Amino acid sequence: MTNAVAVSGLTKRYGHRTVVDHLTLELPRGVVAGFIGPNGAGKTTTMAMLLGLVRPSEGSGTVLGWPIGRPAEFLGDVGALIEGPAFYPSISGRRNLEMLAIAGGHHRGRITGLLEQVGLAGRGEDQYRSYSLGMKQRLGIAAALLGDPELLILDEPANGLDPQGVQEMRGLIGRLAGGGRTVLVSSHDLSELEQVCDWVVLIEGGRALYEGPTRDLLDDRGGRLTVLPEWPADGARLIELLRTHDLEVGQEDGRIVVSAGRGVQPALAAAVNRLAFDAGIVLVELSPVRTTLEERYLSMMEVAG
Amino acid sequence: MIRIVHAQLVRLARGRTIAVLVSTTLLFAVLTSLTVFGTASSEPAVGGAAGRGSTTISALEGPSGGTEAFAIGASFTGFLVFVTFIALIATEFSGGTWRALLLRDPHRRRVLVGTVAAVLVLAAGTVALAELLTLVASWIVAPANGVATAEWFTISGVAAAAGNYLTVLAGIIGWAVFGTTLAVIFRSAPLALGVGFAWAGPFENIVVDSWDTGYRLFPGQVLASLIRGGTVELTMGRAVFTAIVYVTGAALVALTLVSRRDVTA
Repeated sequence: MTNAVAVSGLTKRYGHRTVVDHLTLELPRGVVAGFIGPNGAGKTTTMAMLLGLVRPSEGSGTVLGWPIGRPAEFLGDVGALIEGPAFYPSISGRRNLEMLAIAGGHHRGRITGLLEQVGLAGRGEDQYRSYSLGMKQRLGIAAALLGDPELLILDEPANGLDPQGVQEMRGLIGRLAGGGRTVLVSSHDLSELEQVCDWVVLIEGGRALYEGPTRDLLDDRGGRLTVLPEWPADGARLIELLRTHDLEVGQEDGRIVVSAGRGVQPALAAAVNRLAFDAGIVLVELSPVRTTLEERYLSMMEVAG
Repeated sequence: MIRIVHAQLVRLARGRTIAVLVSTTLLFAVLTSLTVFGTASSEPAVGGAAGRGSTTISALEGPSGGTEAFAIGASFTGFLVFVTFIALIATEFSGGTWRALLLRDPHRRRVLVGTVAAVLVLAAGTVALAELLTLVASWIVAPANGVATAEWFTISGVAAAAGNYLTVLAGIIGWAVFGTTLAVIFRSAPLALGVGFAWAGPFENIVVDSWDTGYRLFPGQVLASLIRGGTVELTMGRAVFTAIVYVTGAALVALTLVSRRDVTA
């Protein structure tokens, strides 16, 4: 099966300014992919190129198997919310959706269900201009879903939302991801993305720094444990003991941090526990150090920058 | 393209919009009829201008008299159509709804032509209503001004009415294309309106005051002559030909720009 999105050497220049610089990436079908990068990294421009709104200066790519230069072939199966929701302010949310459904040749019978799905069932008849920012974003999602798309491209869908709105949006994206649909979502809120995305594309300066499963990115620094003995007096003895067994040991926030390379956390935990037990040291904490997407992102930015 | 026209009509043809259009058209019909019939002279003006802009009792009693008030009134609406199209189309760009439509139908030229066509469909209906209402209003006020109406309801009268309708509609299409082109070029309603106002308002009118050739060359003057059915400075045939050249050129510019430019707003 082809990838949902595949681009190779995709480049966009505006005059002498290169916004997307030979970007190469592949999104397998069915993933929920987070598109991460600082402001000006080229996320929105990349999405716009995938949707046929912006023409690449160089490079090629496919969306759902079709060349990106032929958007008419694939846009019927793609839903998108890019650069914020854009609707006619003086007509209702429902009428805005009707209009877009007609323009796209979509079945208008889906509109009532979509309004319910995004939590706007009671406000569909109200003028769009009366909507809150969160409601506008949700109407944008409903518009993106009009054609029951295989691929959903969402550019900062939680932008400007309050914490509750962000949480609702995260839940909505999680629900939309089911049924084999591919979702590409950009956001600045990495903790939100970490919770819903199983794939990550990290870009900086228009180039991909990482592309792959979220799990692999976060496991990159795996094999770290925090250890806390019951009695603080045992701390120094435990550190010495672990070092004699060739483990890297340090201290963070009063806890002992043990490292043993990538992907060996279960074995490492068992080994540390056994060593402490044999030495008569009781542990009250033995837990893996979880690297967050934000920490990983910032460390990669440091390396790149 | 039919889908885009249909979609835009769903947006435009709302009860409130229709009510405003009908009310405005009714007001136009009444005011125009009262003014034209009230100011019609019994003799042609000395050195009287050909075409529309003034009229006589004898002209009003002719076959085209029933829709003469409509034709005269409509000749002043070109600028209104121009700025309306600038505002409508430029707002599509600046408000992001152009982008939203392209995500449904990526054929940009089709979307632009469909959007303009939808507004023109509404305009065509409004013009027809305006002509009908003006005819009725004229028929009501004619006796009080001593104007006989017998010839209005003949075959010649119907043909004259159809001719007036088509002439006005042609002028409106021309203004619509010019307005759309400016909107496409600037993609900003304030900027496009500013340039449009400056050009079609002060610039053209000041220049033609001292340079007669401007009547035959300036797009706004050409369309004004067309809607008036020809003028002393520019005959109807020449106005039609020049208007076709200008409108075709403007349409080509607009279609080329929308198909080549990136959509970044």
